[in-house]
Amino acid sequence: MRNNFCGSPEHGVSRRGFLGTAAAAGAATLGADMTALDALKSPAMAGELKRKQKNVILLWLAGGASQLETWDPKPGRPTGGPFAKIQTSAPGVEISEMLPKMSKMMGNTAIIRSLNTRVGDHGGGAALMETGRAREQGVQHPDIGAICARELGRADSQVPDYVSMYTSTEGRRKGTSGYLGSRFAPMFLAESMIPQNIRRLETITDVDHKDRAALRDLLAKRFTRSRTSSTVGSHTSAYQRVRGLMASEKLFDIEQEPAKVREMYGPRQFAEQCLIARRLVEAGTPFVKVARAWWDSHGQNFETHQELCADLDHAMSTLLTDLKDRGLLETTLVITLAEFGRTPNINPSLGRDHFANAWSMSLSGCGIKGGTFYGKTDPDGQTVVDGETKSGDVFATIFRALGIDHEKEYHIGARPIPIVDFGCKAIEEVLA
Amino acid sequence: MVDPNKLKEIRTHKQSSIFFGVDRMPETSRLFCGSSDFKVYELDAKVEKAESQAFTGEGHTSYVTTVSLTGSTLVSGSYDGHLAWWNTEKREFIRKVKAHDKWIRMIQITPDGKTIVSVADDMLIKLWNAESGEKLNELVEHKPLTPNEYPSMLYAVTISSDGKLMATADKVGHIAVWDLAEAKKISELEAPVMYTWDPRQRRHSIGGIRSLAFSKDSKLLAAGGIGKIGNIDHLGGPSRIEVFDWQAKKRVHEISDDKFKGLVEQIEFHPSGDWFVAAGGDHSGFISIYDAKTGKVIKQAKAPMHVHGFSIIENWERIYGVGHNNVAVWTLADA
Repeated sequence: MRNNFCGSPEHGVSRRGFLGTAAAAGAATLGADMTALDALKSPAMAGELKRKQKNVILLWLAGGASQLETWDPKPGRPTGGPFAKIQTSAPGVEISEMLPKMSKMMGNTAIIRSLNTRVGDHGGGAALMETGRAREQGVQHPDIGAICARELGRADSQVPDYVSMYTSTEGRRKGTSGYLGSRFAPMFLAESMIPQNIRRLETITDVDHKDRAALRDLLAKRFTRSRTSSTVGSHTSAYQRVRGLMASEKLFDIEQEPAKVREMYGPRQFAEQCLIARRLVEAGTPFVKVARAWWDSHGQNFETHQELCADLDHAMSTLLTDLKDRGLLETTLVITLAEFGRTPNINPSLGRDHFANAWSMSLSGCGIKGGTFYGKTDPDGQTVVDGETKSGDVFATIFRALGIDHEKEYHIGARPIPIVDFGCKAIEEVLA
Repeated sequence: MVDPNKLKEIRTHKQSSIFFGVDRMPETSRLFCGSSDFKVYELDAKVEKAESQAFTGEGHTSYVTTVSLTGSTLVSGSYDGHLAWWNTEKREFIRKVKAHDKWIRMIQITPDGKTIVSVADDMLIKLWNAESGEKLNELVEHKPLTPNEYPSMLYAVTISSDGKLMATADKVGHIAVWDLAEAKKISELEAPVMYTWDPRQRRHSIGGIRSLAFSKDSKLLAAGGIGKIGNIDHLGGPSRIEVFDWQAKKRVHEISDDKFKGLVEQIEFHPSGDWFVAAGGDHSGFISIYDAKTGKVIKQAKAPMHVHGFSIIENWERIYGVGHNNVAVWTLADA
């Protein structure tokens, strides 16, 4: 069963299906009371999370944001467009004036300006940047969220390991755990930011529900007393995990936040989803993807980027500030990435088209040397002239920043598969 | 003999940059253009293979979106927020003033040449002494945010031929009509179809009113832009013009043209009041002539580029259009 843990109506969460999948995937054993969700109520637990848990928030700029209007401006060049560049808080690092709030936050952020990924169609580009490697016949590689869920998720976690939010319908992708199995598939939220179908059925009272769980526990303990099968253990853990997920609903409810915090993030959807992401990583979710679609500005690129950059600038700077204030930025890696960038050439509709030969991304927080940039494009932004970076290099860099052994291998049967594609390496210059 | 049915392209002049705005020295074919390379150019459009000549001096630091002549002085407005004054005989920069905090979209000069009106994305309307550059007034009307909490844009301004009226229009389709002497709003109109907000597929917006024009008797006000767009990645919606009897607050024509898609960047009424010219485009361009009484097409043609602006010679025999990497000349008489 593939990706059955999804929030969209057409893929509503089936508890029975989830249990079967989780058990089959061999989830680790655990013993926590899953109804006691809010770990942050315990300062000791919160402290432990901060020390041990590393998290990722991926801001996925779906459709392809323009590098020239964000991280690699070329003002005054025929390709540069109308926007100026501005000096940031990091000496020598300049970005587009469309990101004024981020310009004050560059001490925590590194820019990679030399992505050359060559795949210029939405589907192919997204698949490449999600998995860090080209599509391969017969093998479904996991995306970065699933790998991080596997590598950073805790066996005793009471919260989802991988949450993916993608509200707009254009270019919507759910993510995939590939050969890692459904245990690491994303909880996918599309129509509503509150997960659907995880609530207790109204026909069952909470007391009944707890009693049933207690009875199931009792019977399970008797059943397992004389058995050592890992499958039996994982079956029990899957039930416990579901109890935790059922109690996690409040994590997605920003009304739980003080008014001051909600005001700081503001009324726009992308920023609200970033606030949910912060709540999730604070509670221990290792990987959250927030997709902001749709940057595919074939017409009116500059008008479009005035809206979307305003979104990105506000949401990202607020998120970084909030994470920093809570002491979470040093353990949380915030990434901006897309399937590709946009053409330096400006078309007659004052748009920019797909372009994968010289584009940019950013890394902030955990494991990153802030205030730096890596790679260089030519004066018009048409080619990479220094530090060419492939998708696999991006993955290696992300894994290194998170303390994940980027040289490790997974196995499909006897076949070893390195988690980073062959020949790729981390960019040391942006690592702390 | 001018006849809108004789509309025909007679010449083009390729350019290496995008020309956004144009004005013309009266009774000549000398064009002055604002460019995407941040410069101002002069080009004599009647000369075969004419080369555009750049003005020299400090100038602008972003796209020059709008130009207008007052006597022999050219005034330009730019996305850098500055108004600049230029000597057209020497093709030299004179001075500039910081006029707006955001992009200047359009300027107009009153018929007496004394006052400049500028509109910009700071959503302010500012009046300037055309000679000294002193600010005379500042008008606030258009909302800074769209209903969806994103920055709005103030694209268009026009002044009636008698200099008494002004109209301004923004991204969400709000139009204000002003008594220019009193600097007082006297009417408002709405053209919301010009603004497409996609809340579900792509979650951003496109469109806006890009052009305005009063008829010569000031009774009609035409607003140009683009109609509703299905896929807002592109300018794939019908070009759109709404003509208002602004005093009656009545929309007299809704012209939605699926044959030529894109933005209507400029509109100009013939002095007779019988017809008007509109031009614009998407990936390609168009020039269309409409009957002012019926709203029907009289004549239209594909333009060799997305047209950002045009200037019509006094006898209406020639139309000089500027746009994406090109300048085009059309005739309305026997070539």
